[in-house]
Parts: sequence; structure tokens; C-alpha cells
Amino acid sequence: SHKQAGNNQDARKMSGFGMQPGIILLREGTDTSQGKAQLISNINACQAVADAVRTTLGPGGMDKLVFDGRNVTISNDGATIMKLLEIAHPAAKTLVDISMSQDTEVGDGTTSVVLLAGEMLKQLKSFVEEGVHPQVIIRNVREAGQLAVQKVSDLAVPFDLDTEEGADMLLKTASTALNSKLISSHKDLFAPMIVEAARTLHAGGNLEDIDNLVAIKKIPGGDVRQSFLVKGVAFKKTFSYAGFEQMTKQFTNPKVLLLNVELELKSEKENAEVRITDPDQYQSIVDAEWQVIYDKLDACVDCGANIVLSKLPVGDLATQYFADRGLFCAGRVENGDLKRVAKATGAIVQTSTHGFHEGILGTCGFFEERQVGDERFNVFTECPASLTSTIVLRGGTEQFIAESERSVHDALMVVKRSLTSKSVVAGGGAIEMEVAKYLKAYALTIEGKGQLIVAAFAKALEVVPRQLCENSGFDSTDILSALRRKHFHDEDGKWFGVDIIKGGICDTFEAGVWEPSDNKCNSLASAAEAACVILSIDETVINPRSEDPGGA
Amino acid sequence: MSMIYDEYGRPFIILKEQQAKNRVKGLEAQKSNILAAKSISSILRTSLGPKGMDKILVSQDGDVTITNDGATILERMEVSHQVAKLLVELSASQDDEIGDGTTGVVVLAGALLEQAEKLLDRGIHPVRVAEGYEKAAEVAIKTLEEIADRVAFSKDNVEPLVATAMTTLNSKIINVHKRKMAEIAVNAVLGVADIDRHDVNFDMIRLEGKAGGSLEDTELVNGIVIDKDFSHPQMAKVVKDAKMCILTCPFEPPKPKTKHKLDINSKEAYDKLYKYEQDYFKEMVQQVKDSGANMVICQWGFDDEANHLLLQNGLPAVRWVGGVEIEHIAIATGGRIVPRFSELSAEKLGRAGTVREVSFGTTKERMLVIEDCANSNAVTVLVRGGNKMVVEEAKRSLHDAMCVVRNLIKDNRVVYGGGSAEIACSIAVSKYAETMVGVDQYAIRAFADALDDIPLALAENAGLSPIEELAAAKSRQIREGSSVIGLGLDQVSEIDDDHSWDMRKLGVFETLIGKQQQLQLATQVVKMILKIDDVISMGQYQ
Repeated sequence: SHKQAGNNQDARKMSGFGMQPGIILLREGTDTSQGKAQLISNINACQAVADAVRTTLGPGGMDKLVFDGRNVTISNDGATIMKLLEIAHPAAKTLVDISMSQDTEVGDGTTSVVLLAGEMLKQLKSFVEEGVHPQVIIRNVREAGQLAVQKVSDLAVPFDLDTEEGADMLLKTASTALNSKLISSHKDLFAPMIVEAARTLHAGGNLEDIDNLVAIKKIPGGDVRQSFLVKGVAFKKTFSYAGFEQMTKQFTNPKVLLLNVELELKSEKENAEVRITDPDQYQSIVDAEWQVIYDKLDACVDCGANIVLSKLPVGDLATQYFADRGLFCAGRVENGDLKRVAKATGAIVQTSTHGFHEGILGTCGFFEERQVGDERFNVFTECPASLTSTIVLRGGTEQFIAESERSVHDALMVVKRSLTSKSVVAGGGAIEMEVAKYLKAYALTIEGKGQLIVAAFAKALEVVPRQLCENSGFDSTDILSALRRKHFHDEDGKWFGVDIIKGGICDTFEAGVWEPSDNKCNSLASAAEAACVILSIDETVINPRSEDPGGA
Repeated sequence: MSMIYDEYGRPFIILKEQQAKNRVKGLEAQKSNILAAKSISSILRTSLGPKGMDKILVSQDGDVTITNDGATILERMEVSHQVAKLLVELSASQDDEIGDGTTGVVVLAGALLEQAEKLLDRGIHPVRVAEGYEKAAEVAIKTLEEIADRVAFSKDNVEPLVATAMTTLNSKIINVHKRKMAEIAVNAVLGVADIDRHDVNFDMIRLEGKAGGSLEDTELVNGIVIDKDFSHPQMAKVVKDAKMCILTCPFEPPKPKTKHKLDINSKEAYDKLYKYEQDYFKEMVQQVKDSGANMVICQWGFDDEANHLLLQNGLPAVRWVGGVEIEHIAIATGGRIVPRFSELSAEKLGRAGTVREVSFGTTKERMLVIEDCANSNAVTVLVRGGNKMVVEEAKRSLHDAMCVVRNLIKDNRVVYGGGSAEIACSIAVSKYAETMVGVDQYAIRAFADALDDIPLALAENAGLSPIEELAAAKSRQIREGSSVIGLGLDQVSEIDDDHSWDMRKLGVFETLIGKQQQLQLATQVVKMILKIDDVISMGQYQ
């Protein structure tokens, strides 16, 4: 394939000059292609990528199973799939990037952003083919994109968090995010959990740090309905040594000491050697070593702590020492967990055992070791600064839990977004239809090529409701025309979208299919941006790989 | 994956290593996934129920396992297909949570997929099928709750527990001795159970196996059995009123952890070192003696010199006891683990009524039995059997039985076995199907049909005519309005010439939570499989 493309370049160079030899500018084997052909080719590649994820959209959307030779992922999450596909096409990679940025920015809507960008390119392709200059198209697409975002913001329905209605709104946005996922039928269980976790953070003003403060723990086994929320911190029992079982495993109002210190009997200095000349000294060295570890342990006990957690190992000696004195300890606690405990209990992580004082100790209302399925969990609840939560997921298989985790994470992000933007729009394709109607009307007010391009942009937006219908097995043409009519004629028709359950159309705002408005703004803006990027490329230069195995 | 060409005939390379990737899409993907899952469940189908057959599994190293435990079979089969693996995990998950019903859950998932395939052929959207299944599962689970009975038991009346354990053991190789085994399982669990809190700490039950003897020699030891013997053959074989010190330090002069070097440059210095070591041994033994101990348990080894000293001082000792065992012994005897000789004291000693070394038959193998411990909440089941495979299978079966007993202590509701619960659910679900409008009706009815597959498989495995038996039992359930009619398999019915029986009379029951979990897990996995419409894989996807 490279050769053929390379020859293209030579042929083109020669064509103007008859029999003159071609001028070789680039290293042999370099693949270049340019102009309109390149543009069209890039658009096609993007469409192929959008086609790969289009069936995952919405409640009727299907999952993908991706097997990379070692791991299996079953997912419905656009960003996850795009990442796993390992897309190599340079232009199509843009779509992966917008999906990723949607994921980091909003957390949800990662499929629809790819779909929108793909569809925009598809609608605009004919203009490129007809010879409209890409810059003209880009200018108008930019304008249409900005107008669309503006319209979404205008349409957005604000809500007040403190009212009961506001709380209900949050619940519904979380449910909407879960609709297309594997755990959709358990959204009554998960949505309140997610809202609860996000609201606790919001109340404490730590919403931005949601990724670190809300932990999602997975325990394979059991039933999905056994998943639960811990208001506080929970983490899996760490590796333990003999003596662990004899420790006290339950405390009320314990003092918590957090360490980044190794509590083990070991050589204090690496690469040091002690030379002993007199056997009498032997014992003193041994004693000195023991003294070092005992001093550390004594410091922990003397400062009044009941629970000692360390990021580094806590050895068997320390385990037994603490067990004898009625303390609880755990070593090799993961960094994230330790930070959450610190945040929740108010303890300060210590890197040395010197200078402990009352101020560094944290506390919580209740601590216990709890059995969850096959695993044991350390659970801190009723923390003074109720800032952290842990969602414990259960489920039949590893893949099931992994997908549940992604879904819960998405929903969490959606709730977070709603909390910051404090406004929602109706989903189910309703907002897209309304924006499309607005843009179509606007297109008629402008002169020139822009009119056609803005209209094409508006048409591209309709892909969302169309795909929703197709994925659920309904006739998209019928439903779309019904929707267009409703939005055009009816003053109150602005929130009409696809009725996924019965087929046909319904007021999705009434039905409680809500998405945060930020989500839509972001996906419209980044899809338009991606389309512009693709349209502005007119040449690709691919250097030959230094080694070409197989010589394809 | 095949190439895509643009209008100019140039191929795109969209994905990395596109040619090496395989892609199956749409209905084809669902079909191939269903096929894979079905073939797994059809392997397990013949192992279901009391007449189920065993499988022999040979590992890469030539280890042979004979079992009819679903989770074990699947685990040892080393399944490589990605969707089939989901079923393996499904079974494992039932095993972790409930401990029993690991075969049933896979058979049910297989049946659900088989039914789903038919619906897909009719052009019904897979997500619709999955949603219908979920609705049906909800109804079935509710039905189970309605037909469940509470069994009353107490420490003095354990008969219901034994009966349930026996149902579990029915299908196992050890069913000849099921009464005895069930009693062992029940007593073991009750030994560690906290009935008021409905809590059972499984860590306190140890299952030890030793090939030799017969299954009947299996016994429950009220204490701990470890596969170790006393360090010196002349040590006392029995220690009464044992006061043991539990040590995690070796019987030797302690060495500094820091790298060290001892230069000896004169004979005097050498003698001094020798004397130092000698004194150390003596001191250690003296410290043990002073604490009042009459026995030593040590996590590490000790050399002949220490061994000799211990023998001379009448201190039977055990060396190289693993960390887990050390912990168990410490908990059971109420002792503390001591890391240094200088920390020994009388109150840190563990106490046990008797510690004895037992030998088996003519072999030299010995085990140490620690009985009548201070905190008598640790028990050990010592499993004996003709060969290693039987012992292993017996251990697995006992584990299953103990899980069932534990579940009953946690939640004492039961449903009746012999397929009766499935038939009752099937009747309720198909009734529910008739009230539904639209595609759901089909999916829900399919769920009911899938439920029937369990009694069908039971009958099939017992060599009965499956359809006749199912029909007879089902019609009797409806006719008599009783949800406890199932397949008796061995007993011919008192009414007709079939095998339908009142399972309550036969005393065949299973825990409610186990059954509910089966339905829930199977439905979840089926939904997961049905939702996949696109499979992208590196290399060949079989």
C-alpha cells in the first residue's frame, strides 16, 4: 500500500513535464497525499470510527467486547472503547481525543460526541466534494457550533439544590446517565448512592476532588444489589501477619495514627556492615536493633492511638505488639486510601515516629472490620469531616463489576457537573432536535454558502435521536419526522424526544430523562471543533517506519 | 479485520495492527457467544443433581481431580474463550458467596441463553430480551420468598440442619455416608457459630485431609489438627493440661539484621563465642521453663543442640509451624504469640486440655491434635479416605455442606429441592407473562421455559423420562396448589406411576438465599452476554 501511494507522488510530479525525471523531495517510502482526496479520505476514516461506536448509544445500545490478547473488557462507555480500539489513523485519532476530553471534562456523553463529529463530517463531505473551500466550511461550522452552545445554555432549566425538587433533579440526571449501562435496571439502587456521595462532597466544598475522595471498590462475587455506600472510608484488609486475628477489630471514637513508616525488624542501613571483634559485643548489636523497632512501636502506643495505618509494611513483630496492647494496625495501605482516611478523620500522615502529639491524630465515630462476601473490609464511619464516601460494588463476574465501576464513575461525574452548572436539559434527543430547529431557522436568515452549511450542521444534530431509535429497534424515519413536526408546530414541544420504552415520541423532560447542560455544551463544542480540525488538514506526511517487518 | 478502501482505492489503516485483529459484529457475535456459553453449560448439565455424574480432570502436571462440583470443574478446565470465562466466574461467584448450587447456576444461564437465541431468531432486540428476563427474575425471586418455609432449629435440635446438609451431599461421591458427614458438617459449623448474631467465622474451621483409612474414619476434632510431629522421637507423645509457649523466633542466638562480620583472632575469643552460644541455649530453655510452659510451638526451626536440650528438660516441641497455624493455635488456646524469649511470661501461654501425637495405620506419618482448648471455638475436620482424590472431593463436599449450614444459620428460610422451587417459579412467571403486553411477554415466557430446564436435567441425569416427569410434577403443583411437589427420582409416586413427590416429606431442601442468588447471578450474566454485539480481538477469537 505504501508503494502504491509513493508512486502516486512520483506520477504526479512527472505528469507536467513529460519524460523528465521526477524530483525526489522526500525519503523513499514516505507516504504523502494531499488536497481534496486527502480530505475526503480523512472524513471517511472518521466515519468508520464513528460507525464502530454508534451502536452503543442510549438505553438500547449494545456493548462491545474487546480482547487485546490478555485482558477482556466488556463496555458500553465510548471513551473506554475508543481507547481500547487502538486507532492508528492519524486523522481519526482526533475523534479519540475528543472522546477522552469529554471523559475528563464531563465524564459522560463520550459516545455521542464521537457520533456528532462523525455525522457533521458526513453532512459536510458533499460540500468538500463540490469544491467549497474548507475554510468557508470551517468558518460557518464554528459559528453554528457557537450558536448551538448558546442555545443549549438558553434552554437549560436551572434548579435549586436546596429544594426537594432540586434533589429530585439530581437523582434523575444520575438515572439518565445509568440508562444505557449494564446496571440500568438497578438504577434505583445506584442513583441515590451516587447523588448522596456527590452531595456530601458538595456540602464540604470539595467537589473538585471527587475523583480522589469518592472511592469505588470492587468485590467480585455476590449480587449487584448487594452493592452499598459507606459514608466514610472503606478499604480491603491488607496483607497481614500472624497475630492479626488477635487484634481488636472494633472501636468507638478511636484515635487514628497514619504513618509512612516501616514497622519491621530489619537492618536500618543498607550496605552497612558491622565488624565485631569481641563476642560480648554481639548481644549489644542485637539489642540495639530491637531497641530501634521497640522505640518506634512504643511511640505509636504512647501517643494514644487505637488504630495505626501505614503505607509501608507493618511486620509480624509490630502486629503482635499492637495486638497485645489492644491496638489495630494495617500495613501496606494504598496511598489513595490513606489519603482518604487522612481527609476523613483529620489525621496527618507522619513520616517519622518522632514528635507525635495529640494534633496529628485523627478520629472517627466508629471503626470496624466487616466481612463483605469473601473479603474483609476496614470501615471508618461517622467521621468528623464527612467528606469522603466509598461505593462498594458487587457483581457476578469481574467484567460485570469493571463495567459497573465505569458506569458509576460516569454517573458520578454527571452529578458533579449538574451540581456545578445547576442546570439541566432534557435528553432522549430532545435538546438536539430543538437546537436543530433553531439552527435551521437561523440558516434561512443568512446569505451565501453559509446557509447550506449551517443547515447541514443542524441536520447532523439529528443523528442523536436517529441513532437512539435505531439502537432500540424503532423506525427512525417515522419518529424523526414526528419529532420535527412536534418541535416546529408546538410551543410546548421543545422537550419532545424519543420514547425508548414504547416507541414514538414523548416529553422526555416529564419522563425524567435529564442531562446536565454542561455535558451537552461541551459535546457540541468539541464535536464542532473536531470537525473543523479534520477539515483543515489537506496533507498528511507519513514517514516510513525505520523497520518495516513483513514489508507491508 | 478486513480492509476498508476509500473512493480512490487506497486502503485505510484505522486501527493498529488492523490485519491481526478480528471482528465479529451484530447477530453473528451474539450467536457465537451464546454457542460458547451453551457448550460450557452442557458440559456441566450431566453433573446436576443427586444422580449427576462426576468429571475427571487431568492438569498439565498430571494431577487428577475427580469431582462433580461445578465451580471446581470449570476452574480446572482452563477455559480460554472470553465469554465462556464469564460462566466460569459466575460459578466461582456463587461458590464464594453461597458455596452450593455452582452447577445449577451455570445450567440455568445456559438454558436462558438457549431460549434467548430462539427469540433473537425471531428478530427481537437483545436488550428487550434481557429486560424481559430481568422482570421475570424479579417475579421468580418474589415467588421463592413466598413459597419459602422457615426451619426452626436450636443448639439442641439440629435435625433440620442435618437434613439440609444431606440434600447438598446427595449429589456427591460421599453420599454413602451422608448422614455421618452431614452431622460432622453441622457440628463443625455449630462449634464456631454465634447463633444469636447469626454469624459464622469460617476461618475457625479447618479441613485437614489424610489419605488412608476409609471415609467412615473421618472425624471432627474439637480443637486443632496440624500436620506436624514433635521434634524428637523420644519426646512425650501426649501432653495433658498443656501450657504452650508460641514462639516466632528461632531457637538459636539472635543475629543482628544488619550485615555483620565477627573476627575471631584468638582461641580465647573462640571459646568465649562457643560459651556464649551455649549459655544462650540454656538461657532460652530456662526462660521457657520459668514461664511455666510444658510445651513449645515454634514457627522456625531449631538445631539438634536445642532439640536435645528441650528433650532433656521435658519440653515436647514442634518446629516449622506455619504462620496461619500459629495464629489459629494462639486464638484457640488463648495464648499470645511471643517474638522474643525475654518477653515470655505465664499469662502469654496458651492452654489446652490435651495435645497428642497420633499416627495412622502402619505409616510413619503423624499429626498433632490439640484438643480442649481454652477458647474452644476452633474445630478441625480430619477427612480420611481411600485415596487422595476421594479425600479431596470429600473435603470439597464437606465445604459445600458447611456453607449451606452457615447460610441457614444466617437466614433460616428454605425452599424445597428436587426442582420443585423451579417449577413453582416457572408457573408463577408464565402466569405473569400473560399479563404483559408486547415483546416482554415472549421474553418472560422464555424465562419460565428456561427454569423448567433444571427439573428436566435432574430427571435426565436420573435416567427418567424428563418431559413426562416434569409434566406430572407441574400438573400436580397446579392441581394441588402446592409448591412443594418435585421430582423424587428414587421414589415412585403414591398417586401415579411417576416420580413426583412432596419434597417436604422427603426432606429435600435448599437455602432460599442460595436459590435467589442463582437466579440473580444467572440473569445478570445472561444480560451481559446478550448486550455484546461487537467483538474485537487480537488473534483468533474462537
